[in-house]
Parts: sequence; C-alpha cells; structure tokens
Amino acid sequence: MSMRTPLGMVRGLGSARDGTHHWWMQRVTAISNIPLIIFLIAFVISHLGASRAEVVASVANPFVAILLALTMISVLWHMRLGLQVVIEDYVHGHGTRLAALLANSFFTAALGVAALYAILKMSFGL
Amino acid sequence: MAELKKAERPLSPHLQIYRPMLTMMMSIFHRATGVALYAGVVLMVWWLTAAATSDEYFNIVQGVFGHWFGRLVLFGFTWALVHHAVGGLRHLLWDTGRGFDLPLVEVMAKATVGLSVVITILLWVIGYGVMS
Amino acid sequence: MAEFSLPKNSKVQQGKQWPKPAGKKLRDFKIYRWNPDDGKNPQVDTYTLDMDKCGPMVLDALIKIKNEQDPTLTFRRSCREGICGSCAMNIDGTNTLACLKSCEDVKGDVRIYPLPHMPVVKDLVPDLTRFYAQHRSIEPWLKTTTPEPQTEWKQSPEDRAKLDGLYECILCACCSTSCPSYWWNGDRYLGPAVLLQAYRWMIDSRDEATGERLDNVEDPFRLYRCHTIMNCSKACPKGLSPAKAIAEIKKMMVERRV
Repeated sequence: MSMRTPLGMVRGLGSARDGTHHWWMQRVTAISNIPLIIFLIAFVISHLGASRAEVVASVANPFVAILLALTMISVLWHMRLGLQVVIEDYVHGHGTRLAALLANSFFTAALGVAALYAILKMSFGL
Repeated sequence: MAELKKAERPLSPHLQIYRPMLTMMMSIFHRATGVALYAGVVLMVWWLTAAATSDEYFNIVQGVFGHWFGRLVLFGFTWALVHHAVGGLRHLLWDTGRGFDLPLVEVMAKATVGLSVVITILLWVIGYGVMS
Repeated sequence: MAEFSLPKNSKVQQGKQWPKPAGKKLRDFKIYRWNPDDGKNPQVDTYTLDMDKCGPMVLDALIKIKNEQDPTLTFRRSCREGICGSCAMNIDGTNTLACLKSCEDVKGDVRIYPLPHMPVVKDLVPDLTRFYAQHRSIEPWLKTTTPEPQTEWKQSPEDRAKLDGLYECILCACCSTSCPSYWWNGDRYLGPAVLLQAYRWMIDSRDEATGERLDNVEDPFRLYRCHTIMNCSKACPKGLSPAKAIAEIKKMMVERRV
C-alpha cells in the first residue's frame, strides 16, 4: 500500500507535454483517407475478377501507382496510430505493453514496405 | 479486538450495470471496426504482393476471395470500412467543436448506422453489376 | 490487461428480501450493499415501498427505507435539491443525483448502485479521494502575475458568458464515473469533470496562466484518453457538456502550435 499522498499519485511523473502531434496526425490521415479510400474502392471494384496482367497494366499507369502508394501510406499510418491508442487503453502490464507497442509499429512498417515494393515492382514492369 | 482486519474495499460494478446506450455502443463499434480493418489491410497487402509476384500465386489469392466464405469475409470488411469511415466523419465534426447538442448526437448515431448499411449494400450491388 | 470483470472480492451476490409493507402502489428497490465489517462480498438487497406514502424522488425513497426499514443503509446526501452533488449514484443504469431522479421515470424495479468502477467505502458511498486529488492537480484558482488591481479584475460580459456551462459544475462525479476511459485508466486520465474545470480556468479571461494549464494536461493520458465516447454529457445531471469542453481544449492544443 503506497504511502504517497493522493495528489502525489495523481501528479505522477508530470505531464509528458506531448500527445497533440499523435492526435493531429490521426485526424490528418483520417482526412487524407477519405478521398484515397474512395479511390481504392473504385480500383478494387473495377478489378474484380481481373487477371494479373490487367492489374499490372493498371498499376503501370503512374497516377494509379502513386495514388495506391499514397493510400497505403495514409491507411497504414492511421492504423498504426489507432492501434497504439487501443493498446495504451487496455494493455497495462509493462512487458506485454511494450511488446505490443513495438509489434504494432514494426508490423505496420513492414506492411508498408511490402505494399510499396509490390506497387513499384508492378509499376516498373518488373 | 485482536482480529480487527481492515477489509479491502471492493470495486463498484461498471460494465455489469451501466445502461448500454446507442452512443456508447457506437463508440465501441468504431473501435471494433478499426481493429477489424487492421486485419483487412493485411489482406489488401497480401493481394497487392500476390499481384506483384506471379500469375499462379495471384490466381490462388483471387480464388480465396472469390470463394463464398472469402466473399462473406469481404462483405464484412466492406461494412466495417464504411461504418468506420462514416463514424469517423462524426468524430471529425466533434473535433471542430460542433455537434455536441444531445438530440443531434442521437440523430447522428442513427444516421451513421443507416448510412453505413445503405452504402455497403450499394457498393456490393455495383460490384456484382461490374462482374456480370 | 484492463479488467473488464470485477475482482473476486467485488462480485455481487444475491442479498436479502426485506419484508413488504401493506399498500396498493408497491415498488421494489434493488440496492447494492457492502459492509466493511462483515468480511462478505457485496450483495443486492430488495426493499419494497408503498409509493403512495413516499416522496417522488429516489432520495425520498432511500431516506424512507433508512428511517422505517433498515437504518444501516448508508448513502451521502445533503441539499436534496440538486446543487451539492452528494447523492450522486447509479440509478437504473445511469449516473445521476438521487434527489433529482423521479421514481416515475424508472420502469420496473429501481436498481441503485454506487458510482461505477470506484472503491466502495460502504453501501452507496464511493471513495472520491483520487477524484478530488485530480481536481486539485489542475490548480482550480485564478493565477496571475500582473499586480492585483485596487478593486477587481475586470471582465467583459462577453468574456463572462464564456464561463456559462462550466462554472455550474457541482463536482458530483457522475460524468467521470460514467466514462469507460476513466474506468480503465482513471489513475492517469483526469476524467471529464476535472477537464471541464481545467477548461473553465483556461478560458477565464482574468487568468494569466493559460499556457501552463495547457502544458499541464497535454499528456497522452491526462487529456488524450478522451475518445469522445459521450457518456459524460449524457450523464450530467446539471445538463453540462464535458465532451464539448474537452473538444475545445484539444482545439486550443492544435491552435497553439499552428
């Protein structure tokens, strides 16, 4: 049982003076997601049942490739920030929390690189 | 009074007794759809990398998505995406400091549910239209 | 992991049914009880009242039960008119003041629990120590550097109007204890009531420490555990909107770095 005063416990380690950037970037990526997801949905619908050759031909177009790349970056960034908040909310054990936060960052980064690699490969006709 | 033991204070019930309101449910749903979409994006990246790999691998992936269960999952993901997006617009409005009037909050919550169902169905109708 | 289920010593058991009085308009009250002296888990006791012989509010019913049936029933109360905030509790699933909640507004049995996710001192009395410490931590007083004027600090009517909807808070804790984020992270998240008060001082034109106040709450936990769930504004028995106040704080945070 801690003998620290209630005020001492509430003050804790003090304010991190941080958090607004995270909040702001979540909103920025949310806004960028709106047009980009609309583009993504249109892209997916127009390629339903398409052959690989057709998909590659579309991605060879620089506009499509760039928009797809922007979509993946925006979505993955938004996703990483979102899950970070969920982990902070629910995972309280020190070790598990750290592992989960790192896994989230690494996984989304890996997905991002994989997606960009695939897009560029198709776009450059490799 | 040798055994005067200070009983540890219990925690009062919370989820167990709190009235589940539409706004509260919408909030947890927004989070649930967000987490579900995390998995959905993995599928998207899988599809992209398959398209960049080989005809063989791409056809396998397309086969998985074309299978009835794959389509069911995709339908679920579409709905999660639309619900999260429409709910997201609600959140963006709140972030500007508007829309906190309680009756309006209820209207927006109901509109989010309604719109997300309508848009999801619309997208799939268009999708099936394009396929045929 | 945030605990969604209650700890072992907090699980609520079936309690006793108290004798029913005579009368035509009978109503059952299912009330959370916990006695720190008997070593048992909390339980829900059922009392029955003749509503023809009782005042209209839930507080009237609680007082009647305590006077006539069970003097050990423990709860906080004072003004009985919705201004002191003492009788805040969870009635029929939502947090409100017992003195302002009419029994007629509740359908079926009236279920009464203490404010959610709080340590219980006894029966319907929660331990609000941390809540008060959080209020103290935002320094809820006027902070100035300029030498004090001879008479009063002047404030225009427009600036005074900005405090409307904020100064009326009675610190009953209905909002904070209705917030799921406060349930899971109440040790580090300040909660809607305290953030509303923080905002009250931030936009008081007479205060000169707005920047420091913003610094104090600019923290991923103190402020940013708010995800606009909106339980707070729905629970406030005084009709205030902590959710809006918090949104305004977040806007100020962005404004000062753009």
